[in-house]
Amino acid sequence: MAAGAGDRRRHREARAGYLFVAPSLLGFIVFVLGPLIAVAYFSFTRYDVLTSPQFAGLANYRRLLTDARLHAVYLNTVLYVVAAVVLINGFALVLAVLLHQRMPHFLTLIFRSVYFFPSLVSLVYISLIWQALFQHDTGLVNYYLGQVGVGPQSWLNSTSLSRWTVVVVDVWRNLGLAMLIFVAALQDVPAELEEAAQIDGAGPITTFRKIIMPMISQAIFFNVTITVIGAFQIYESVIVLTNGGPGDSTRSVVMYLAERAFSDFQIGYASAIAMTLFVVILTATLIQFRLRRSWVHYE
Amino acid sequence: MSETTLTRTDRSMPTARLLRRRRRPPTATVVCVVLLALGTVGMLAPFAYMLVTALKSAQHAYDLPPDWYPKEFHWQNFTDAINGPLPLLRNLWNSAFIAAITTLGMLITAPMAGYAFAHLRFPGRNGLFVLLLAALMVPIQVTVIPLFLIMRNLHLINTPWSLILPQVTGAFGVFLMRQFFLSVPRELFEAAKVDGANEWTIYRAVALPLVKNGLSALGILTFLTSWNAYFAPSIFLNSQDSATLPLALVLMRGPFSTGQINVIMAATTFAVVPAFIVYLIAQRWIIAGLTSSAVKG
Repeated sequence: MAAGAGDRRRHREARAGYLFVAPSLLGFIVFVLGPLIAVAYFSFTRYDVLTSPQFAGLANYRRLLTDARLHAVYLNTVLYVVAAVVLINGFALVLAVLLHQRMPHFLTLIFRSVYFFPSLVSLVYISLIWQALFQHDTGLVNYYLGQVGVGPQSWLNSTSLSRWTVVVVDVWRNLGLAMLIFVAALQDVPAELEEAAQIDGAGPITTFRKIIMPMISQAIFFNVTITVIGAFQIYESVIVLTNGGPGDSTRSVVMYLAERAFSDFQIGYASAIAMTLFVVILTATLIQFRLRRSWVHYE
Repeated sequence: MSETTLTRTDRSMPTARLLRRRRRPPTATVVCVVLLALGTVGMLAPFAYMLVTALKSAQHAYDLPPDWYPKEFHWQNFTDAINGPLPLLRNLWNSAFIAAITTLGMLITAPMAGYAFAHLRFPGRNGLFVLLLAALMVPIQVTVIPLFLIMRNLHLINTPWSLILPQVTGAFGVFLMRQFFLSVPRELFEAAKVDGANEWTIYRAVALPLVKNGLSALGILTFLTSWNAYFAPSIFLNSQDSATLPLALVLMRGPFSTGQINVIMAATTFAVVPAFIVYLIAQRWIIAGLTSSAVKG
Protein backbone atom coordinates (compact mmCIF):
# COMPACT_ATOMS: atom_id res chain seq x y z
CA MET A 1 0.00 0.00 0.00
CA ALA A 2 2.74 2.44 1.03
CA ALA A 3 4.86 1.36 -1.93
CA GLY A 4 1.87 1.99 -4.22
CA ALA A 5 1.47 5.55 -2.93
CA GLY A 6 5.20 6.16 -3.38
CA ASP A 7 5.01 4.81 -6.90
CA ARG A 8 2.10 7.05 -7.72
CA ARG A 9 3.89 10.06 -6.33
CA ARG A 10 7.03 9.27 -8.29
CA HIS A 11 4.92 8.83 -11.39
CA ARG A 12 3.23 12.16 -10.84
CA GLU A 13 6.59 13.86 -10.24
CA ALA A 14 8.01 12.44 -13.48
CA ARG A 15 4.98 13.60 -15.46
CA ALA A 16 5.29 17.08 -13.95
CA GLY A 17 9.00 17.05 -14.84
CA TYR A 18 8.30 16.37 -18.51
CA LEU A 19 5.56 18.99 -18.63
CA PHE A 20 7.80 21.59 -16.99
CA VAL A 21 10.66 21.10 -19.45
CA ALA A 22 8.33 20.72 -22.47
CA PRO A 23 8.19 24.40 -23.58
CA SER A 24 11.97 24.81 -23.40
CA LEU A 25 12.52 21.48 -25.09
CA LEU A 26 10.04 22.35 -27.84
CA GLY A 27 11.79 25.69 -28.42
CA PHE A 28 15.11 23.88 -28.57
CA ILE A 29 13.87 21.35 -31.13
CA VAL A 30 12.11 23.87 -33.38
CA PHE A 31 14.57 26.76 -33.22
CA VAL A 32 17.96 25.12 -32.55
CA LEU A 33 18.12 21.40 -33.28
CA GLY A 34 15.85 21.44 -36.34
CA PRO A 35 17.62 24.41 -37.96
CA LEU A 36 20.99 22.84 -37.16
CA ILE A 37 19.99 19.66 -39.01
CA ALA A 38 18.57 21.77 -41.84
CA VAL A 39 21.73 23.81 -42.22
CA ALA A 40 23.77 20.60 -42.32
CA TYR A 41 21.45 19.31 -45.07
CA PHE A 42 21.56 22.57 -47.08
CA SER A 43 25.35 22.50 -46.97
CA PHE A 44 25.21 19.47 -49.32
CA THR A 45 22.86 21.16 -51.77
CA ARG A 46 22.64 23.92 -54.31
CA TYR A 47 19.79 26.15 -53.23
CA ASP A 48 18.69 29.66 -54.21
CA VAL A 49 15.39 29.82 -52.24
CA LEU A 50 13.29 30.14 -55.43
CA THR A 51 13.73 26.56 -56.66
CA SER A 52 13.95 23.55 -54.36
CA PRO A 53 17.38 22.40 -53.11
CA GLN A 54 19.43 20.22 -55.51
CA PHE A 55 21.80 17.67 -54.01
CA ALA A 56 25.33 18.78 -54.79
CA GLY A 57 27.49 16.35 -52.83
CA LEU A 58 30.64 17.92 -51.47
CA ALA A 59 30.72 20.78 -54.00
CA ASN A 60 30.16 23.47 -51.35
CA TYR A 61 32.86 22.03 -49.13
CA ARG A 62 35.32 21.87 -52.04
CA ARG A 63 34.56 25.53 -52.67
CA LEU A 64 35.38 26.32 -49.03
CA LEU A 65 38.88 25.07 -49.64
CA THR A 66 39.50 27.23 -52.71
CA ASP A 67 37.63 30.42 -51.74
CA ALA A 68 40.41 32.93 -51.09
CA ARG A 69 37.94 35.51 -49.74
CA LEU A 70 36.69 33.02 -47.16
CA HIS A 71 40.24 32.33 -46.07
CA ALA A 72 40.86 36.06 -45.71
CA VAL A 73 37.74 36.62 -43.59
CA TYR A 74 38.60 33.59 -41.46
CA LEU A 75 42.06 35.00 -40.86
CA ASN A 76 40.51 38.31 -39.76
CA THR A 77 38.13 36.49 -37.45
CA VAL A 78 40.87 34.37 -35.89
CA LEU A 79 42.77 37.60 -35.22
CA TYR A 80 39.64 39.04 -33.55
CA VAL A 81 39.30 35.91 -31.43
CA VAL A 82 42.94 35.69 -30.33
CA ALA A 83 43.14 39.44 -29.66
CA ALA A 84 39.87 39.38 -27.74
CA VAL A 85 40.90 36.41 -25.60
CA VAL A 86 44.31 37.84 -24.75
CA LEU A 87 43.45 41.52 -24.39
CA ILE A 88 40.00 41.31 -22.81
CA ASN A 89 41.03 38.73 -20.24
CA GLY A 90 44.42 40.31 -19.60
CA PHE A 91 43.05 43.79 -18.98
CA ALA A 92 40.07 42.39 -17.09
CA LEU A 93 42.27 40.40 -14.74
CA VAL A 94 44.47 43.42 -14.00
CA LEU A 95 41.40 45.59 -13.38
CA ALA A 96 39.84 42.92 -11.16
CA VAL A 97 43.00 42.63 -9.04
CA LEU A 98 43.19 46.43 -8.69
CA LEU A 99 39.50 46.57 -7.81
CA HIS A 100 39.95 43.82 -5.24
CA GLN A 101 42.32 45.96 -3.16
CA ARG A 102 41.21 47.79 -0.08
CA MET A 103 39.63 51.14 -0.91
CA PRO A 104 36.54 53.07 0.17
CA HIS A 105 33.45 51.09 -0.77
CA PHE A 106 31.91 53.87 -2.89
CA LEU A 107 35.05 53.93 -5.06
CA THR A 108 34.77 50.19 -5.67
CA LEU A 109 31.16 50.65 -6.72
CA ILE A 110 31.91 53.59 -9.02
CA PHE A 111 34.88 51.91 -10.71
CA ARG A 112 32.98 48.66 -11.18
CA SER A 113 30.05 50.49 -12.75
CA VAL A 114 32.17 52.65 -15.04
CA TYR A 115 34.11 49.71 -16.47
CA PHE A 116 31.13 47.39 -16.68
CA PHE A 117 28.50 49.71 -18.11
CA PRO A 118 29.61 49.55 -21.80
CA SER A 119 29.01 45.78 -21.73
CA LEU A 120 25.30 46.54 -21.33
CA VAL A 121 25.11 48.94 -24.27
CA SER A 122 24.45 47.62 -27.76
CA LEU A 123 27.66 47.25 -29.74
CA VAL A 124 25.89 49.21 -32.49
CA TYR A 125 25.71 52.36 -30.35
CA ILE A 126 29.25 51.88 -29.04
CA SER A 127 30.53 51.50 -32.60
CA LEU A 128 28.64 54.60 -33.79
CA ILE A 129 30.37 56.66 -31.12
CA TRP A 130 33.81 55.20 -31.80
CA GLN A 131 33.38 55.60 -35.53
CA ALA A 132 33.04 59.33 -34.98
CA LEU A 133 36.06 59.35 -32.65
CA PHE A 134 38.20 57.46 -35.18
CA GLN A 135 37.47 59.74 -38.18
CA HIS A 136 40.64 60.75 -40.00
CA ASP A 137 40.21 64.53 -40.07
CA THR A 138 37.49 65.28 -37.54
CA GLY A 139 38.04 62.48 -35.03
CA LEU A 140 39.21 63.12 -31.49
CA VAL A 141 41.67 60.21 -31.50
CA ASN A 142 43.79 61.73 -34.26
CA TYR A 143 43.41 65.19 -32.71
CA TYR A 144 44.89 64.07 -29.38
CA LEU A 145 47.56 62.00 -31.11
CA GLY A 146 48.50 65.19 -32.96
CA GLN A 147 48.82 66.99 -29.62
CA VAL A 148 51.53 64.53 -28.59
CA GLY A 149 53.24 64.65 -31.95
CA VAL A 150 51.87 61.51 -33.63
CA GLY A 151 50.61 61.97 -37.18
CA PRO A 152 47.02 61.17 -38.13
CA GLN A 153 46.25 57.48 -38.61
CA SER A 154 43.78 55.99 -41.04
CA TRP A 155 41.85 54.08 -38.36
CA LEU A 156 38.86 53.13 -40.46
CA ASN A 157 40.33 52.97 -43.91
CA SER A 158 43.58 51.08 -43.80
CA THR A 159 44.11 47.47 -44.83
CA SER A 160 46.59 46.94 -42.01
CA LEU A 161 45.28 49.13 -39.19
CA SER A 162 41.49 48.94 -39.41
CA ARG A 163 41.17 45.42 -38.09
CA TRP A 164 42.93 46.59 -34.93
CA THR A 165 40.37 49.38 -34.66
CA VAL A 166 37.70 46.67 -34.57
CA VAL A 167 39.69 44.92 -31.84
CA VAL A 168 40.02 48.12 -29.79
CA VAL A 169 36.27 48.71 -29.83
CA ASP A 170 35.53 45.08 -28.99
CA VAL A 171 37.98 45.05 -26.09
CA TRP A 172 36.80 48.41 -24.77
CA ARG A 173 33.21 47.24 -24.76
CA ASN A 174 33.64 43.74 -23.32
CA LEU A 175 36.39 43.96 -20.73
CA GLY A 176 33.98 45.09 -18.01
CA LEU A 177 31.97 41.88 -18.12
CA ALA A 178 35.10 39.72 -17.86
CA MET A 179 36.33 41.97 -15.03
CA LEU A 180 33.08 41.49 -13.15
CA ILE A 181 33.42 37.73 -13.33
CA PHE A 182 37.04 37.86 -12.15
CA VAL A 183 36.05 40.11 -9.24
CA ALA A 184 33.38 37.61 -8.16
CA ALA A 185 35.93 34.79 -8.36
CA LEU A 186 38.53 36.75 -6.37
CA GLN A 187 35.96 37.37 -3.64
CA ASP A 188 35.62 33.61 -3.30
CA VAL A 189 39.34 33.09 -2.60
CA PRO A 190 39.61 32.58 1.17
CA ALA A 191 41.67 35.37 2.71
CA GLU A 192 43.36 32.83 5.04
CA LEU A 193 44.98 31.11 2.07
CA GLU A 194 46.62 34.30 0.88
CA GLU A 195 47.74 35.12 4.40
CA ALA A 196 49.20 31.69 4.94
CA ALA A 197 51.23 32.07 1.75
CA GLN A 198 52.48 35.47 2.79
CA ILE A 199 53.44 34.22 6.24
CA ASP A 200 55.40 31.47 4.51
CA GLY A 201 57.35 34.19 2.77
CA ALA A 202 55.73 34.16 -0.68
CA GLY A 203 55.83 37.52 -2.48
CA PRO A 204 52.73 38.99 -4.11
CA ILE A 205 53.57 37.57 -7.55
CA THR A 206 54.20 34.06 -6.26
CA THR A 207 51.04 34.25 -4.16
CA PHE A 208 49.09 35.30 -7.22
CA ARG A 209 50.52 32.60 -9.47
CA LYS A 210 50.49 29.70 -7.01
CA ILE A 211 47.46 30.47 -4.86
CA ILE A 212 45.07 32.83 -6.59
CA MET A 213 45.40 31.70 -10.23
CA PRO A 214 44.44 28.10 -9.46
CA MET A 215 41.54 29.28 -7.29
CA ILE A 216 40.08 31.46 -10.05
CA SER A 217 40.90 29.05 -12.89
CA GLN A 218 37.23 28.24 -13.37
CA ALA A 219 36.44 31.92 -13.94
CA ILE A 220 39.37 32.14 -16.38
CA PHE A 221 38.01 29.23 -18.41
CA PHE A 222 34.52 30.67 -18.38
CA ASN A 223 35.77 34.05 -19.58
CA VAL A 224 37.94 32.52 -22.27
CA THR A 225 35.01 30.44 -23.51
CA ILE A 226 32.62 33.37 -23.73
CA THR A 227 35.22 35.64 -25.36
CA VAL A 228 36.03 32.97 -27.97
CA ILE A 229 32.36 32.35 -28.79
CA GLY A 230 31.62 36.08 -28.73
CA ALA A 231 34.53 37.05 -30.98
CA PHE A 232 33.65 34.38 -33.56
CA GLN A 233 30.29 36.17 -33.86
CA ILE A 234 31.74 39.65 -34.48
CA TYR A 235 29.40 41.39 -36.88
CA GLU A 236 27.77 44.70 -36.03
CA SER A 237 30.93 46.51 -34.94
CA VAL A 238 32.50 45.74 -38.33
CA ILE A 239 29.32 46.77 -40.17
CA VAL A 240 29.25 50.13 -38.41
CA LEU A 241 32.98 50.89 -38.27
CA THR A 242 34.24 49.80 -41.70
CA ASN A 243 31.50 47.76 -43.39
CA GLY A 244 34.12 45.05 -43.90
CA GLY A 245 36.57 47.22 -45.80
CA PRO A 246 38.82 48.40 -47.08
CA GLY A 247 38.60 45.40 -49.39
CA ASP A 248 37.94 42.44 -47.12
CA SER A 249 40.50 43.53 -44.56
CA THR A 250 38.06 43.74 -41.64
CA ARG A 251 35.23 41.49 -42.85
CA SER A 252 34.27 38.74 -40.40
CA VAL A 253 33.09 35.21 -41.15
CA VAL A 254 29.55 36.00 -40.01
CA MET A 255 29.40 39.02 -42.32
CA TYR A 256 30.62 36.94 -45.23
CA LEU A 257 28.10 34.20 -44.42
CA ALA A 258 25.21 36.67 -44.25
CA GLU A 259 26.23 38.26 -47.55
CA ARG A 260 26.43 34.91 -49.37
CA ALA A 261 23.08 33.81 -47.90
CA PHE A 262 20.97 36.96 -48.04
CA SER A 263 22.54 39.07 -50.81
CA ASP A 264 23.58 36.31 -53.25
CA PHE A 265 21.06 33.66 -52.12
CA GLN A 266 23.77 31.00 -52.26
CA ILE A 267 22.02 29.15 -49.45
CA GLY A 268 24.00 25.93 -49.96
CA TYR A 269 27.40 27.57 -49.83
CA ALA A 270 26.45 29.87 -46.96
CA SER A 271 25.24 26.80 -45.05
CA ALA A 272 28.62 25.15 -45.55
CA ILE A 273 30.24 28.29 -44.09
CA ALA A 274 27.81 28.13 -41.17
CA MET A 275 28.82 24.51 -40.60
CA THR A 276 32.49 25.50 -40.40
CA LEU A 277 31.57 28.13 -37.82
CA PHE A 278 29.63 25.54 -35.84
CA VAL A 279 32.50 23.03 -35.93
CA VAL A 280 35.04 25.69 -34.92
CA ILE A 281 32.95 26.89 -31.96
CA LEU A 282 32.18 23.31 -30.94
CA THR A 283 35.87 22.36 -31.09
CA ALA A 284 36.97 25.43 -29.14
CA THR A 285 34.40 24.67 -26.44
CA LEU A 286 35.29 20.99 -26.20
CA ILE A 287 39.02 21.70 -26.01
CA GLN A 288 38.35 24.03 -23.13
CA PHE A 289 36.18 21.48 -21.37
CA ARG A 290 39.00 18.97 -21.66
CA LEU A 291 41.68 21.39 -20.46
CA ARG A 292 39.42 22.52 -17.68
CA ARG A 293 39.09 18.99 -16.36
CA SER A 294 42.83 18.67 -15.93
CA TRP A 295 43.60 22.21 -14.75
CA VAL A 296 40.74 23.60 -12.80
CA HIS A 297 40.82 23.47 -9.06
CA TYR A 298 37.44 22.55 -7.59
CA GLU A 299 36.65 23.32 -4.00
CA MET B 1 29.42 26.60 -2.75
CA SER B 2 25.98 26.81 -4.31
CA GLU B 3 24.36 28.77 -1.51
CA THR B 4 26.55 31.80 -2.18
CA THR B 5 24.72 32.78 -5.36
CA LEU B 6 22.07 35.04 -3.95
CA THR B 7 24.27 37.02 -1.65
CA ARG B 8 27.49 37.18 -3.61
CA THR B 9 27.26 40.89 -4.32
CA ASP B 10 25.97 41.79 -0.89
CA ARG B 11 28.67 40.35 1.27
CA SER B 12 31.62 42.10 -0.21
CA MET B 13 33.41 42.60 3.13
CA PRO B 14 33.60 39.58 5.38
CA THR B 15 35.43 40.14 8.63
CA ALA B 16 38.49 38.15 7.65
CA ARG B 17 39.06 40.28 4.59
CA LEU B 18 38.45 43.49 6.51
CA LEU B 19 41.18 42.52 8.96
CA ARG B 20 43.57 41.54 6.23
CA ARG B 21 42.93 44.69 4.26
CA ARG B 22 43.64 46.91 7.18
CA ARG B 23 47.18 45.62 7.32
CA ARG B 24 47.91 46.60 3.70
CA PRO B 25 50.13 49.65 3.20
CA PRO B 26 48.07 52.63 2.07
CA THR B 27 50.47 53.43 -0.81
CA ALA B 28 49.27 50.29 -2.62
CA THR B 29 45.69 51.51 -2.28
CA VAL B 30 46.59 54.93 -3.66
CA VAL B 31 48.37 53.39 -6.65
CA CYS B 32 45.38 51.15 -7.37
CA VAL B 33 42.89 54.00 -7.12
CA VAL B 34 45.01 56.22 -9.37
CA LEU B 35 45.39 53.50 -12.01
CA LEU B 36 41.67 52.72 -11.96
CA ALA B 37 40.80 56.41 -12.11
CA LEU B 38 43.03 56.88 -15.17
CA GLY B 39 41.21 54.03 -16.86
CA THR B 40 37.80 55.52 -16.12
CA VAL B 41 38.76 58.54 -18.22
CA GLY B 42 39.07 56.20 -21.20
CA MET B 43 35.78 54.51 -20.33
CA LEU B 44 33.80 57.72 -19.87
CA ALA B 45 35.25 59.89 -22.66
CA PRO B 46 33.25 58.27 -25.51
CA PHE B 47 29.99 58.75 -23.60
CA ALA B 48 30.94 62.34 -22.76
CA TYR B 49 31.66 62.94 -26.45
CA MET B 50 28.24 61.48 -27.28
CA LEU B 51 26.39 63.75 -24.84
CA VAL B 52 28.26 66.92 -25.72
CA THR B 53 27.96 66.34 -29.48
CA ALA B 54 24.24 65.54 -29.11
CA LEU B 55 23.78 69.10 -27.83
CA LYS B 56 25.84 70.86 -30.50
CA SER B 57 24.60 72.81 -33.47
CA ALA B 58 25.56 71.52 -36.92
CA GLN B 59 28.17 74.22 -37.49
CA HIS B 60 30.07 73.42 -34.29
CA ALA B 61 29.63 69.64 -34.36
CA TYR B 62 33.13 68.99 -35.66
CA ASP B 63 34.96 71.72 -33.75
CA LEU B 64 38.48 70.93 -32.60
CA PRO B 65 39.74 71.04 -29.93
CA PRO B 66 36.64 69.25 -28.67
CA ASP B 67 34.51 70.47 -25.78
CA TRP B 68 34.18 68.11 -22.83
CA TYR B 69 31.20 69.89 -21.36
CA PRO B 70 28.26 71.32 -23.31
CA LYS B 71 28.73 74.97 -24.29
CA GLU B 72 25.53 75.09 -26.27
CA PHE B 73 22.25 73.29 -25.76
CA HIS B 74 20.87 72.54 -29.16
CA TRP B 75 17.94 70.42 -27.96
CA GLN B 76 16.54 70.60 -31.45
CA ASN B 77 18.85 67.67 -32.39
CA PHE B 78 16.57 65.36 -30.45
CA THR B 79 13.40 66.51 -32.22
CA ASP B 80 15.29 66.42 -35.52
CA ALA B 81 16.26 62.81 -34.83
CA ILE B 82 12.69 61.83 -33.96
CA ASN B 83 11.17 63.73 -36.88
CA GLY B 84 13.88 62.69 -39.30
CA PRO B 85 13.45 60.38 -42.28
CA LEU B 86 13.15 57.36 -39.94
CA PRO B 87 10.15 56.65 -37.70
CA LEU B 88 12.36 56.60 -34.62
CA LEU B 89 9.57 56.43 -32.05
CA ARG B 90 8.07 53.53 -33.97
CA ASN B 91 11.50 51.84 -33.95
CA LEU B 92 11.78 52.47 -30.22
CA TRP B 93 8.36 50.90 -29.71
CA ASN B 94 9.38 47.87 -31.82
CA SER B 95 12.49 47.35 -29.70
CA ALA B 96 10.53 47.71 -26.47
CA PHE B 97 7.72 45.39 -27.63
CA ILE B 98 10.09 42.65 -28.81
CA ALA B 99 12.20 42.87 -25.65
CA ALA B 100 9.17 42.91 -23.32
CA ILE B 101 7.36 39.93 -24.89
CA THR B 102 10.61 37.96 -25.17
CA THR B 103 11.35 38.61 -21.51
CA LEU B 104 7.84 37.64 -20.45
CA GLY B 105 8.06 34.37 -22.37
CA MET B 106 11.50 33.59 -21.01
CA LEU B 107 10.29 34.26 -17.45
CA ILE B 108 7.58 31.66 -17.96
CA THR B 109 9.52 28.91 -19.75
CA ALA B 110 13.00 29.02 -18.20
CA PRO B 111 12.11 28.86 -14.47
CA MET B 112 9.77 25.90 -15.10
CA ALA B 113 12.50 23.92 -16.81
CA GLY B 114 15.14 25.10 -14.35
CA TYR B 115 13.00 23.91 -11.44
CA ALA B 116 12.35 20.53 -13.06
CA PHE B 117 16.05 19.99 -13.79
CA ALA B 118 16.98 21.00 -10.23
CA HIS B 119 14.32 19.32 -8.11
CA LEU B 120 12.07 16.91 -9.98
CA ARG B 121 13.11 13.33 -10.70
CA PHE B 122 12.23 11.87 -14.06
CA PRO B 123 13.91 9.35 -16.37
CA GLY B 124 16.27 11.01 -18.86
CA ARG B 125 16.59 14.19 -16.83
CA ASN B 126 20.36 14.52 -17.05
CA GLY B 127 20.46 13.56 -20.72
CA LEU B 128 17.87 16.20 -21.59
CA PHE B 129 19.72 18.82 -19.57
CA VAL B 130 23.01 18.14 -21.37
CA LEU B 131 21.19 18.25 -24.71
CA LEU B 132 19.70 21.61 -23.82
CA LEU B 133 23.07 22.93 -22.66
CA ALA B 134 24.57 21.96 -25.99
CA ALA B 135 22.39 24.71 -27.47
CA LEU B 136 24.78 27.20 -25.88
CA MET B 137 27.31 26.12 -28.50
CA VAL B 138 24.93 26.87 -31.38
CA PRO B 139 24.81 30.64 -31.85
CA ILE B 140 22.05 32.07 -34.00
CA GLN B 141 24.64 32.91 -36.66
CA VAL B 142 24.91 29.19 -37.40
CA THR B 143 21.17 28.53 -37.68
CA VAL B 144 20.09 31.84 -39.18
CA ILE B 145 19.52 30.46 -42.68
CA PRO B 146 16.89 27.84 -41.72
CA LEU B 147 15.39 30.28 -39.20
CA PHE B 148 15.00 32.83 -41.98
CA LEU B 149 13.28 30.21 -44.16
CA ILE B 150 10.96 29.20 -41.29
CA MET B 151 9.99 32.81 -40.67
CA ARG B 152 9.47 33.39 -44.39
CA ASN B 153 7.18 30.37 -44.68
CA LEU B 154 5.21 31.51 -41.64
CA HIS B 155 5.00 35.04 -43.16
CA LEU B 156 6.66 36.47 -40.07
CA ILE B 157 9.47 38.36 -41.81
CA ASN B 158 9.22 42.08 -40.94
CA THR B 159 7.14 41.28 -37.87
CA PRO B 160 8.32 41.31 -34.25
CA TRP B 161 7.41 37.62 -33.94
CA SER B 162 10.32 36.54 -36.12
CA LEU B 163 12.57 37.71 -33.29
CA ILE B 164 10.35 36.84 -30.34
CA LEU B 165 9.60 33.20 -31.15
CA PRO B 166 13.19 31.88 -31.28
CA GLN B 167 14.09 33.78 -28.10
CA VAL B 168 11.24 32.99 -25.68
CA THR B 169 12.99 29.77 -24.71
CA GLY B 170 16.69 29.41 -24.22
CA ALA B 171 19.37 27.29 -22.69
CA PHE B 172 21.02 30.15 -20.82
CA GLY B 173 17.83 30.94 -18.93
CA VAL B 174 17.23 27.30 -18.01
CA PHE B 175 20.82 26.92 -16.85
CA LEU B 176 20.69 30.13 -14.81
CA MET B 177 17.39 29.26 -13.13
CA ARG B 178 18.55 25.73 -12.36
CA GLN B 179 21.53 27.26 -10.52
CA PHE B 180 19.22 29.43 -8.45
CA PHE B 181 16.84 26.56 -7.67
CA LEU B 182 19.75 24.31 -6.67
CA SER B 183 20.67 26.82 -3.97
CA VAL B 184 17.25 26.31 -2.35
CA PRO B 185 17.22 23.36 0.06
CA ARG B 186 15.13 20.44 -1.21
CA GLU B 187 13.45 19.96 2.16
CA LEU B 188 11.37 23.10 1.60
CA PHE B 189 9.57 21.43 -1.28
CA GLU B 190 9.48 18.00 0.33
CA ALA B 191 7.44 19.40 3.23
CA ALA B 192 4.82 20.78 0.86
CA LYS B 193 4.80 17.47 -1.01
CA VAL B 194 4.08 15.52 2.15
CA ASP B 195 1.19 17.90 2.78
CA GLY B 196 -0.25 16.60 -0.49
CA ALA B 197 0.21 19.71 -2.64
CA ASN B 198 0.55 18.98 -6.36
CA GLU B 199 3.73 19.81 -8.27
CA TRP B 200 2.35 22.92 -9.95
CA THR B 201 1.17 24.38 -6.64
CA ILE B 202 4.54 23.67 -5.03
CA TYR B 203 6.29 25.35 -7.94
CA ARG B 204 4.05 28.42 -7.98
CA ALA B 205 3.50 28.90 -4.26
CA VAL B 206 6.74 27.63 -2.72
CA ALA B 207 9.56 27.46 -5.27
CA LEU B 208 9.11 30.59 -7.40
CA PRO B 209 8.95 33.09 -4.51
CA LEU B 210 12.25 31.67 -3.25
CA VAL B 211 14.15 32.60 -6.42
CA LYS B 212 12.94 36.18 -6.92
CA ASN B 213 16.53 37.35 -7.31
CA GLY B 214 17.08 34.80 -10.03
CA LEU B 215 13.92 35.88 -11.84
CA SER B 216 15.01 39.51 -11.68
CA ALA B 217 18.45 38.65 -13.04
CA LEU B 218 17.00 36.50 -15.83
CA GLY B 219 14.42 39.13 -16.75
CA ILE B 220 16.90 41.97 -16.98
CA LEU B 221 19.53 39.99 -18.88
CA THR B 222 16.93 38.72 -21.36
CA PHE B 223 15.56 42.22 -21.85
CA LEU B 224 18.99 43.75 -22.44
CA THR B 225 20.07 40.97 -24.81
CA SER B 226 16.98 41.52 -26.91
CA TRP B 227 17.19 45.32 -26.66
CA ASN B 228 20.80 45.30 -27.87
CA ALA B 229 20.49 42.67 -30.61
CA TYR B 230 21.53 43.55 -34.12
CA PHE B 231 22.38 40.40 -36.08
CA ALA B 232 19.01 38.61 -36.17
CA PRO B 233 16.99 41.85 -36.55
CA SER B 234 19.21 42.85 -39.48
CA ILE B 235 18.24 39.60 -41.24
CA PHE B 236 14.58 39.28 -40.27
CA LEU B 237 13.53 42.94 -40.41
CA ASN B 238 14.12 44.88 -43.58
CA SER B 239 11.61 47.68 -43.60
CA GLN B 240 11.91 51.02 -41.81
CA ASP B 241 8.61 50.47 -40.03
CA SER B 242 9.54 47.09 -38.59
CA ALA B 243 13.15 48.04 -37.73
CA THR B 244 14.35 48.05 -34.15
CA LEU B 245 16.27 50.97 -32.68
CA PRO B 246 19.80 49.63 -33.41
CA LEU B 247 18.85 49.00 -37.05
CA ALA B 248 17.30 52.44 -37.31
CA LEU B 249 20.44 54.12 -36.01
CA VAL B 250 22.64 52.36 -38.54
CA LEU B 251 20.20 53.38 -41.29
CA MET B 252 20.20 56.93 -40.00
CA ARG B 253 23.96 57.16 -40.16
CA GLY B 254 23.75 56.07 -43.79
CA PRO B 255 25.94 53.64 -45.70
CA PHE B 256 28.65 56.26 -46.25
CA SER B 257 28.34 57.96 -42.87
CA THR B 258 26.55 60.88 -44.47
CA GLY B 259 24.20 61.48 -41.53
CA GLN B 260 24.71 64.57 -39.36
CA ILE B 261 26.85 63.59 -36.41
CA ASN B 262 25.08 65.80 -33.85
CA VAL B 263 21.68 64.37 -34.78
CA ILE B 264 23.07 60.81 -34.80
CA MET B 265 24.62 61.34 -31.37
CA ALA B 266 21.27 62.71 -30.14
CA ALA B 267 19.60 59.52 -31.38
CA THR B 268 22.39 57.41 -29.82
CA THR B 269 21.90 59.21 -26.50
CA PHE B 270 18.20 58.47 -26.82
CA ALA B 271 19.11 54.78 -27.21
CA VAL B 272 21.82 54.55 -24.52
CA VAL B 273 19.92 56.32 -21.74
CA PRO B 274 17.37 53.48 -21.24
CA ALA B 275 20.26 51.03 -20.75
CA PHE B 276 21.76 53.42 -18.21
CA ILE B 277 18.49 53.70 -16.29
CA VAL B 278 18.06 49.92 -16.31
CA TYR B 279 21.60 49.56 -14.98
CA LEU B 280 21.06 52.09 -12.17
CA ILE B 281 17.88 50.37 -11.03
CA ALA B 282 18.93 46.78 -11.52
CA GLN B 283 22.71 46.50 -11.26
CA ARG B 284 22.45 44.16 -8.27
CA TRP B 285 20.53 41.52 -10.20
CA ILE B 286 22.48 42.02 -13.42
CA ILE B 287 25.73 41.34 -11.58
CA ALA B 288 24.29 38.43 -9.59
CA GLY B 289 22.94 36.83 -12.75
CA LEU B 290 26.13 37.18 -14.75
CA THR B 291 28.54 36.10 -12.04
CA SER B 292 26.54 33.16 -10.71
CA SER B 293 26.54 31.51 -14.12
CA ALA B 294 30.29 31.89 -14.32
CA VAL B 295 31.66 30.92 -10.99
CA LYS B 296 29.75 27.70 -10.73
CA GLY B 297 30.07 25.47 -13.77
